Amino acid sequence: MRPRLWVLVLVALACALGLANTACEDITARTIVVWHAYRGDEERAIEELASRFEKAHPGTLVELLAVPFEAYPAKLEAAAPHGHGPDVFIDTHGRLGAYRREHVVAPTPPDVADPAQYDTIALDAVSEGGRLFAVPLSTKCVALYYDVDLLPEPPATLEDLVAAKLPEGTLPLAYEANSAYFHAALLSAFGGRLLDDHGAFAFDSDAGVRSLELVHELTAKHAIPAEPSGALVTQLFASKQAAAVIGGPWLRSDLGDKVRYRVAPLPKIARSGELMRPLLTVEGAMLTPHGATRPLAVDFVQFLGSKEAAIVLATVGHQVVARRDAWTDPALAGDPVLGAFHDAVRSSVPMSSSTRMQAAWVPANEAIEKALRGEDPRAALAEARRRFDDATKPPPPPSSPTPALVVLGLVLLAASIQIARRTRLADVKASLPAYRYTAHAVLVVLVLVVVPLLAGAATSLFAGSRDDMRYVGFANYVAILTARGGALLGHGSFYLTLLVTVLWTLLNVTLHVAIGVALGVLLSRPLLKLRAAYRALLVLPWAVPSYVTALAWKGMFHRQFGAVNALLGLVGVHPISWFSRFSTALTANVTTNVWLGFPFMMVVTIGALTSIPKEVLEAAEVDGATRWQRFWRVTLPLLRPALLPAVVLGGIWTFNMFNVVFLVSGGEPDGETDILVSEAYRWAFTRDAQYGYAAAYAVLIFGLLWLITRATRKWQGAGT
Amino acid sequence: MTSLLRKIEPLLVHLAVLVALAFALYPILWVLSTALSAGGLGAHSGAIPRPHDVTLDNFRTVVGTDRVGGTALFGRQVLSSIVVSLATAVVGVVIATPAAYALARFRFVGARTGERALLATQMFPAVASAVPLYLILDALHLLDTRLGLVLVYASTAVPFAIFQLRGAFETIPVDLEEAAMVDGATRGQAFVRVVLPAARPAIAVTALFCFMSAWNEFILAATLLSRESAFTLPVVLQRYVGEHDAAWGPFAAGAILVSLPVMIFFYVAQRQLVSGLTAGGVKG
Amino acid sequence: MERLSEHEKRRAAERADEASPASAPKVAMRCEARGVHKAFGGTQVLRGVDLSVPDGGFAVLVGSSGCGKSTLLRSIAGLETVDAGSIHLAGRDVTRLAPRDRDIAMVFQSYALYPHLSVRDNLAFGLKLRGVARGEIEARVREVSQMLGLEALLDRLPKQLSGGQRQRVAMGRAIARRPTMFLFDEPLSNLDAALRAEVRVDIRRLHDRLHATTVYVTHDQVEAMTLADTLWVMNKGLVEQSGPPLEVYERPRTRFVATFLGSPAMNLLDAKLVRKGAGAWLAEGADLAVPLDAERFGSSLTEGREVTVGVRPHDLCVAQQGTTELGEIVVEVVEALGFESYVHGWARQAGPSIVMRLDTAAGSVRVGERVKLAAAPDKVHLFDRATGAALTS
Repeated sequence: MRPRLWVLVLVALACALGLANTACEDITARTIVVWHAYRGDEERAIEELASRFEKAHPGTLVELLAVPFEAYPAKLEAAAPHGHGPDVFIDTHGRLGAYRREHVVAPTPPDVADPAQYDTIALDAVSEGGRLFAVPLSTKCVALYYDVDLLPEPPATLEDLVAAKLPEGTLPLAYEANSAYFHAALLSAFGGRLLDDHGAFAFDSDAGVRSLELVHELTAKHAIPAEPSGALVTQLFASKQAAAVIGGPWLRSDLGDKVRYRVAPLPKIARSGELMRPLLTVEGAMLTPHGATRPLAVDFVQFLGSKEAAIVLATVGHQVVARRDAWTDPALAGDPVLGAFHDAVRSSVPMSSSTRMQAAWVPANEAIEKALRGEDPRAALAEARRRFDDATKPPPPPSSPTPALVVLGLVLLAASIQIARRTRLADVKASLPAYRYTAHAVLVVLVLVVVPLLAGAATSLFAGSRDDMRYVGFANYVAILTARGGALLGHGSFYLTLLVTVLWTLLNVTLHVAIGVALGVLLSRPLLKLRAAYRALLVLPWAVPSYVTALAWKGMFHRQFGAVNALLGLVGVHPISWFSRFSTALTANVTTNVWLGFPFMMVVTIGALTSIPKEVLEAAEVDGATRWQRFWRVTLPLLRPALLPAVVLGGIWTFNMFNVVFLVSGGEPDGETDILVSEAYRWAFTRDAQYGYAAAYAVLIFGLLWLITRATRKWQGAGT
Repeated sequence: MTSLLRKIEPLLVHLAVLVALAFALYPILWVLSTALSAGGLGAHSGAIPRPHDVTLDNFRTVVGTDRVGGTALFGRQVLSSIVVSLATAVVGVVIATPAAYALARFRFVGARTGERALLATQMFPAVASAVPLYLILDALHLLDTRLGLVLVYASTAVPFAIFQLRGAFETIPVDLEEAAMVDGATRGQAFVRVVLPAARPAIAVTALFCFMSAWNEFILAATLLSRESAFTLPVVLQRYVGEHDAAWGPFAAGAILVSLPVMIFFYVAQRQLVSGLTAGGVKG
Repeated sequence: MERLSEHEKRRAAERADEASPASAPKVAMRCEARGVHKAFGGTQVLRGVDLSVPDGGFAVLVGSSGCGKSTLLRSIAGLETVDAGSIHLAGRDVTRLAPRDRDIAMVFQSYALYPHLSVRDNLAFGLKLRGVARGEIEARVREVSQMLGLEALLDRLPKQLSGGQRQRVAMGRAIARRPTMFLFDEPLSNLDAALRAEVRVDIRRLHDRLHATTVYVTHDQVEAMTLADTLWVMNKGLVEQSGPPLEVYERPRTRFVATFLGSPAMNLLDAKLVRKGAGAWLAEGADLAVPLDAERFGSSLTEGREVTVGVRPHDLCVAQQGTTELGEIVVEVVEALGFESYVHGWARQAGPSIVMRLDTAAGSVRVGERVKLAAAPDKVHLFDRATGAALTS
């Protein structure tokens, strides 16, 4: 044992060393840290630019970090305000409002960018209050890709496109009709907008209604696919099953040369007589507050905005650059697709960078989904407005923390007195040897788990967005428990979500236990051959990361191309639109979670079965019990003590299972399948950063679970 | 009638297990077939997960053979994941084991409160504690270090580990330690030389849980790490999901690569898994 | 002390009950095993065993561990399948029947009580399964608990009972079923000595009262001797001898049987047969010289045959006037047990230890003394040295 112990220690040390190594930060005066969320060609373009800058400024190091898109804003917002993170970062202008508020971005120093050199529309997007906050690098908006084999000329109007003569089974048009981002183009053709200049919801106008009616018609006529997704749209176009698609420059790399296509700006809509104007996102090079103080970083930003850089971005990264003089360069002239997108930019509308825009997406998407399903557009839009207003309600007025602090002080005092009275010194002395064993666990858990939780819980007493937090006492809790003044079981209300969460948990736990125990029993039969192989294979779902699982199942539940409907089709069942009804969406979520969770129950059961003495079962057999009677009257009751803790723990995990609900159904339809924890997440991250409110949700969830486990423990204690 | 049932019974059992197996493997096969297909999508259609245009390109993309220095980078990222997960397992077990032992054997002031607190930490959704955690790590100068990440992972895995191990220790008869102490060992020595070896399966399972929770975790790693070479595999995986589109082929290939080590480990250690989870592991 | 009064209570209850018809037994049945073979993996555990127990009989299977007695019992119960041979209960071939259809009850070594059920529910388990009416169940539970002194324990769980109490519940569970056959698998081995002695008697008394056919497995020869109507001594998968206990004790047919029964074990000494004249034979060994009765052994006496002489310590005594001396030992150890002593000695240096029982009333010996040994001629046994079979005429 001795030598093996030493090996273990050495390995541990090596690991630790490996860990420690990365801690040394070699920030020298000549290094700039640059973050971006690019992939593929765009990433190559940035890398090329970085190396050119390094060559032009010998001794400089440009440290690039490619961050996964999903984590990008959170990472920036966590790092930059505290002086960590990058000097320079590249991001879309839509988040400028939030970044400004969170002090992630600093104004671009004057003279860095000559306004005359950039497209006005791009400059407007990255300016606020007359000041520039980024050097615009590229502009992105959607345009019409059309298959020249099927449509020799670009259609003049949408109606022309729909009416075009096409081979059997080919869709005239495919685009992500269920996304407000794409729908905004249609909306603009009717003169509508998502948000007005004051940040109020503007979708619920006549223009909005007409735009939704049009989309519903298109779906009903099968002119556009139902349940579209980005991947589906790409695939339809690439396989010539759609004559035209609406997409952005990012589609190019996926299409390659499978299809002969051209790009044109979006056509008019004959019904309204106006052009479709897509939303524009501008990507710019931004400086963090501490980056703005470093001349080298500023130089790099200036370099990124130069003509030379723009040419690289356009030729290597295939970006539609915002730099005017780059377009005269022959290198760009040879790329007609790029030119077409550049044309499209001219008729685009910059997306609002207001923080309220964040809160508009989900209600808008929900309204569009409803309209696609055939519900009344006006009612859907009115509901969307209601939700938007609800989500952007100003926080309650600050109240004085004094009474709470006084109460807290009294409670702590009373608690300390109680503890002091109840513990005897002798007991404490006797406990000292035990503390030697628990000390480090206590320390680690306290510092890294308990304190953040308490701090997070404390946040629930505050409201407002991050730079505007004010103490509001229990106002958040009151708001939640009164369903924000709306109907007690209305959309998004705490109670409705609670019911859904309870239903979700019960269904899952029941299925986990039933399937897990059944399989565990079957796999414990000594006569079953290949037992070991079966067990090893059935445990596999546990090995796959839950977000991979969730995404895989989501794809499998796709109405048109999902495997589940294909399987059901084999037995003659019509394709089900899984995410359009609560019952089916819940089924999809439950299926995924059951898939994830039954191996755990199965393994626990197998283990627990080994602890049931064989002789007790034999006694039952001799006493006259059939196999089933033995299982029901002897095995199960004896399994109960071992299973119960696993069931309780599993129940808690299911109650808080965010990944599956968020990634599979995404709360659809219409937020109905959201559970408490995903609802809390939305409050924190998609409704204008209401961290305090989300924290209040978290505390309530905790409180509920605490009560439930206490009740189960009482029941468990009574049962034995 | 019953004898007929008895004859076909083994068949029925096999059938039931096979159905369960099909259910369990189906999505995995889909991910695999997407990983093996060119062009990413498409493999999602139809009932049978068959890859079309079979190619290993997606794996090549993930492993980085199509980029200069890509393989080296991927290698370092794999190493990063391994180091972080192993360290989480080691740290988690080292922290949890003595505490679990104390809970199982000693009566001490604060034991019950501690237990309740541990259970409570399982119930609190992490959404509220992300920002405070970041600030604490910052104060400890552990930001952007793998050590910081490991500590966070280990600390979140510790409560569950303590419950598991405590149950295991409770099933080990006290006689063993008493015999050791009579033989001249201190309590600590008895713990290390007698109790720990007896609890090996449970410890192995706990280490596995810690390992897995670290191996598969994405959001904390992405937020806390700022060097590409230090990125763990889940972060690398998420890079294939962009704003407007996702490279599903490489994503699926990466998913397979990420899941493979754990699958292999499960297969190899399944008996320990079963006995480790039982050894009182999930006793109330 | 509490045990004693419980015990007496039970005796009283039983005596009162004896006349009551409630405990009238069902028709008892004979049990037969014919040519049973059973192997586990590569090991042959039963090599063709025949067993026969008459109606109401008490058969005890005895032997050292690994001899197959438990396997045979479990085969009778149906918990093990047989590779070859058959099991017959009440004349029916039950070899293919499941345990639940054989109408037997079994008491396990570990008692195998249902841990999650109270004593009352444990007793009633089998009855509930068979759909016996509730009133009948209650009556039987009451009866059995009175019989075994369990009334005060009916609502307790097995983990709250002592070993002896659990044992009684296990028996009660079997009795409540009123089966036609009882099987006991070393039921007393987990009890302490005093309790064992007491319960042993209780088992026999219960059997006599219930007249149920019983097969009992034990490795303890005291239990075997005191409980059996018929003793079945097993060794390495075969029955070496069967018969009434006293007969097997006094006339062992193999060396194994001879040494298995009786404590301390029979003394075994090597010897060779020597003819000392017409009809006069001697078994001559390095330690003893035993004159033999030619009539008793008949034709098995051949000159120079290598044998083992066996004589029980209880059959050895100090040689006196008129008794034939067999040999002399030097006393090495004297185990004084109060009313008797066991004297250990050797006839020659580094020779085997010979044990003699000495009645304390008959005097005492000291360590180092030389003692002359004698034994009645019919208490001396001869076994073939190679086969271990007893020599007979």
